Amino acid sequence: MVTATDRDTAPVSFRPGEFEILPDGSGRLLGSRCRNCGAHFFPIREACSGCLGTDLETVRFSTTAKLYTFSVVRQSVPAFPVPYVLGYVDVPEGVRIMTQISGIDPEEVKIGMDLELAVEPFGTGDDGETLFGYRFRPVGTEEGK
Amino acid sequence: MTGVHIIGVGMTRFGKHPDDDAAGLGAKALLEAISDAGIDPRLIEGAYCGHVFQGMVTGQRILAQVGMAGLPLANVENACSSGATAIREASLAIRAGEHDVVLAVGTEHLTTRFAGALTPDPSDPEAAVGATMPSVYAMRARRYMEEFGMTRRQLAAVAVKNRRHAAANPLAHFRKEITIEEVIESRPIADPLNLLDCSPVTDGSAAAILVSDRMLKRLGNGRAVRLAASTLFTGSVETEPTSMTFEPLTRKTAEAAYEKAGIGPEDVDFAEVHDCFSIAEVLRVEGLGLFPQGGYPAAVERGEADIGGRLPINPSGGLIGKGHPLGGTGVAQVVELVRQLRGEAGERQIEGARVGLAHCRGGKAVGIEGAACTVQVLVK
Repeated sequence: MVTATDRDTAPVSFRPGEFEILPDGSGRLLGSRCRNCGAHFFPIREACSGCLGTDLETVRFSTTAKLYTFSVVRQSVPAFPVPYVLGYVDVPEGVRIMTQISGIDPEEVKIGMDLELAVEPFGTGDDGETLFGYRFRPVGTEEGK
Repeated sequence: MTGVHIIGVGMTRFGKHPDDDAAGLGAKALLEAISDAGIDPRLIEGAYCGHVFQGMVTGQRILAQVGMAGLPLANVENACSSGATAIREASLAIRAGEHDVVLAVGTEHLTTRFAGALTPDPSDPEAAVGATMPSVYAMRARRYMEEFGMTRRQLAAVAVKNRRHAAANPLAHFRKEITIEEVIESRPIADPLNLLDCSPVTDGSAAAILVSDRMLKRLGNGRAVRLAASTLFTGSVETEPTSMTFEPLTRKTAEAAYEKAGIGPEDVDFAEVHDCFSIAEVLRVEGLGLFPQGGYPAAVERGEADIGGRLPINPSGGLIGKGHPLGGTGVAQVVELVRQLRGEAGERQIEGARVGLAHCRGGKAVGIEGAACTVQVLVK
């Protein structure tokens, strides 16, 4: 886990409205919860597509997930050096999120794996600073491993 | 309410056109459609142009080249369904009684816009974490293999079939047949999809001229084909994760089309479906109800989807063989339907076909199953 003491300044999220980094350096995906029917959405929405209500609150999702499906991407845009593993993961709130999968040999990735969110360097900001984003990795693997 | 009939179609060769542009290709397709219809172009009362990446007022640039400006014209963008949406809008203008003769044209000069994998709009949260269009379909392929036991060879057989069909289509991007081994050994793009599982980056244009019952009677065109249904939906917003191996959006759009046309999937004689990737054809034909869920890969292996098979799928070569110039694609599918139903498809003719269906599905927006889906049903 990245901690604030690891660097001079607090880590900056690559998409602050969707992914926040807490003071302890851990990350949380941000979404909406409908106060009327309980449905969850990612990213944050203006209205609930279940009941069409507009009484939504912003919530932090759980950091655990199960892998629904994945691919090893071999050709992409320059921003993403290949290969990387891309997957759809289901978080306990009932939301499916696309994410990169890290901390595992691509050949070992399996549908149904239990994963957890990790804060990892994810691109560079306009001022050249390192931005931090989320990837999911097998439960119990250490960052950088 | 009036019926809608297609009295003329035209299409450029699909492929790389380094010496032309989207408007030039559109003008060529349009002139061919007018000539095919055998009408005075001054009869055309309105026009719709489908394109995605060609900039402002592409439709007007086409009409200006052929001296036909002065009409009401709207450019429509719905990603891969743009051309199909132009057909639908043209049909609605006729059904509403606004016009009797309407042009639908679709065009794209894609080689000047993209070299490699198409990606979603950069504002898309999934694009921000590395989504490409092939990778999204690759993930669906992986899940389909897990659920239904589809083999890699079965998946490759879809591309082999479409390239074989394309070899019989003089307007196709690719005219060379390929083998299952060649698909499996081609360059990896996003596992399990390889280069030959993907539709190519293609330039091309297609056009169709649609008329009302009244105008058909006046013109006395004996080669007209009836557009029995043209439906469009966007995906519903998901409130919980759902299967990615079945397409409720395709099913919904198809059911609306079947109802309007007064037919069922069992009445369809052949179909052009949106095979942007090999796995996409599998998902589409099952979503359309043309083959049972989980059953298409084995059916392709048995030759059921071949020209001459029980239910030919993508006789034109589809997007994998014929090419996929986004805005042109949906109109080109209708061109193939018309030519097949008229018995003018040459070497790839399907004998005795009376009902053809075209399906397009385009675009990606986070949180919904698909951005735009269209189904057209044409009846002889």
